[in-house]
Amino acid sequence: MNPATLMILPVALPLVTAVVALMGRRPAAWRRWFTGGSALLQVVVAFALASTAWHGGPQVLAIGGWAAPYGIVLVGDLLAGIMLVLGAVTALASLLYGFAELPVGDEHPLRLPLVQFLVTGINLAFCTADLFNLFVAFEVMLISSYALLTLEADDWDIKQAFPYMALNLVGSTLFLVAAGLAYGLFGSLNFAAIAERSTALAGTPQLTVLALLLFTVFGMKAGLFPLFYWLPNSYPILPSPVAALYAGMLTKVGVYVLLRIFGQVLPPDLPLIHTLMMWLAAATMIFGVLGAVSRNFIRGILSFHILSQIGYMVLAIGLFTPYAIAAAIFYIIHHIIVKSTLFMVGGVVVVLNRSDDLTKTGRLWAVAPVLGVVFLLQALSLAGVPPLSGFWGKYMIVVEGLRQREWVLVGCALLAGVLTMFSMLKIWNGPFWHPEAAGGVHLADARWKPMTAVAGGMTLLSLGIGFGAEFFLRVAHEAARQVLDRGAYVTLLLGGGN
Amino acid sequence: MMWETAILIGLLFGAACFLILQASFVRILFGFILLSNAANLFVLAMSGRPDGKSAPIVGVAGAAPVDPLPQALILTAIVIGFGVIAYLVILLYRTFLDQRTASARELFDPARERPEEEQA
Repeated sequence: MNPATLMILPVALPLVTAVVALMGRRPAAWRRWFTGGSALLQVVVAFALASTAWHGGPQVLAIGGWAAPYGIVLVGDLLAGIMLVLGAVTALASLLYGFAELPVGDEHPLRLPLVQFLVTGINLAFCTADLFNLFVAFEVMLISSYALLTLEADDWDIKQAFPYMALNLVGSTLFLVAAGLAYGLFGSLNFAAIAERSTALAGTPQLTVLALLLFTVFGMKAGLFPLFYWLPNSYPILPSPVAALYAGMLTKVGVYVLLRIFGQVLPPDLPLIHTLMMWLAAATMIFGVLGAVSRNFIRGILSFHILSQIGYMVLAIGLFTPYAIAAAIFYIIHHIIVKSTLFMVGGVVVVLNRSDDLTKTGRLWAVAPVLGVVFLLQALSLAGVPPLSGFWGKYMIVVEGLRQREWVLVGCALLAGVLTMFSMLKIWNGPFWHPEAAGGVHLADARWKPMTAVAGGMTLLSLGIGFGAEFFLRVAHEAARQVLDRGAYVTLLLGGGN
Repeated sequence: MMWETAILIGLLFGAACFLILQASFVRILFGFILLSNAANLFVLAMSGRPDGKSAPIVGVAGAAPVDPLPQALILTAIVIGFGVIAYLVILLYRTFLDQRTASARELFDPARERPEEEQA
């Protein structure tokens, strides 16, 4: 089969799985086997696509044979491949974790189909090379995420869904406006066509307005300061398997699109936007980590940490050198795995201690040391202790920041790292070291073992990224090179004669 | 007609923002409906001045057709917007049933806490 034809599978597979699972109506064992099998297949497909892009360069699939810039095209370059692999691995892990957490009969009948719809939207956002198609992908993803957020929320949690939805609705509307503006400016919504025509407009106010609009939209979706408040209150109300997937993937879709739009589609000389990006990223890091320090329940702390980590990635994009873009990509690879593992650990603590309030948990280091080791490795990795994976990402960003003489920004990044360590110690002192547990320790609840096993598997992956950093850095550099090579992208999509 | 359209879009966006920032759920809802229509009108305006152009129908000879692509875009956007607004209606209604208030100010009042016995 032509490798480009594979490009449709990351979108088609979860869609078909969702529809079939939806037709099953009731939760049943076959539905789990079917969805799990499909998730495994998605991992295989994603690896195949990534390795094709790694060895053979970007692949293009024109849907229905309509060539760019008129038809919709899917592009599988290395960055899209990496994101697809990460998404598929996280989705598989969160599925397995969910299977371990709930017996078949207790599962909400709509959870599995909605998760697969969510994955469809995420994957489409990674593959697409068309601004309007990206809008559709975001809507598929967001509508599923609204539904999942409210699906199992109780009478009190439900109110947190409102700010989440309201802000994302405003974001989507601005996205539509930006798409309209881009069409008015360039006469096309294809990424390559925009890339080709926007160079002539570089420096004009129209292009700056468009760039600002797109930055607002995707900054909001990524959770950048000052529009991040929808995130840390809404994520803790999710059931923990779904929270692990959200924490890993959703905001990173925003970061990915920032990378794609500003790295590849819009012209590279937008100094205003890049400066704004860096300073907002620094503010996000500091405010995010301070929010984490102020919380006293595990998922609340972890949710604020997502924000502060987003700050690092966006700072790297704002520095905007090939090295910094590679650092951002490496950071995304590291972050998705670590963050979803930490949410999984939080879920296991809830199972064992019946609470995730730091004052009511305790004794887990004594009774479940494996869980402690998993948490410790991932928490230290998040804080950036060598040789764990987080260190390399932070190191690259700090090095590039120093090369650009951005002393204040580097200072913010280092300070956020120290505060990350501090808030991780808060979690460590609660469930793991506290000598008393108000809710008791429910070791007889056998669910925690398979759940810890899934989190442990993710930790092994993360250790692999840390110790095999050289390989992953080479992948990140190649992905960054493919993103920044605008000429090749335009030729690939529009052909040489255009 | 460009100025009139621009002013109308601006008015719609302004009214939508004003309504969304109110406390009442119903006003917020109307605000979002206006907001999505303002965005649709903006995209429609991107097809340019329709004066003296024919409808974009295949086989009809005559003047140059209007650019049909923005119309296709907003058709998609209307469908998506309709779905999301329908979801918002249900979300606000369920919040009203659960929390017995139709005001965002009361809903997010810090004094309004989950009863202690429910915190398991």
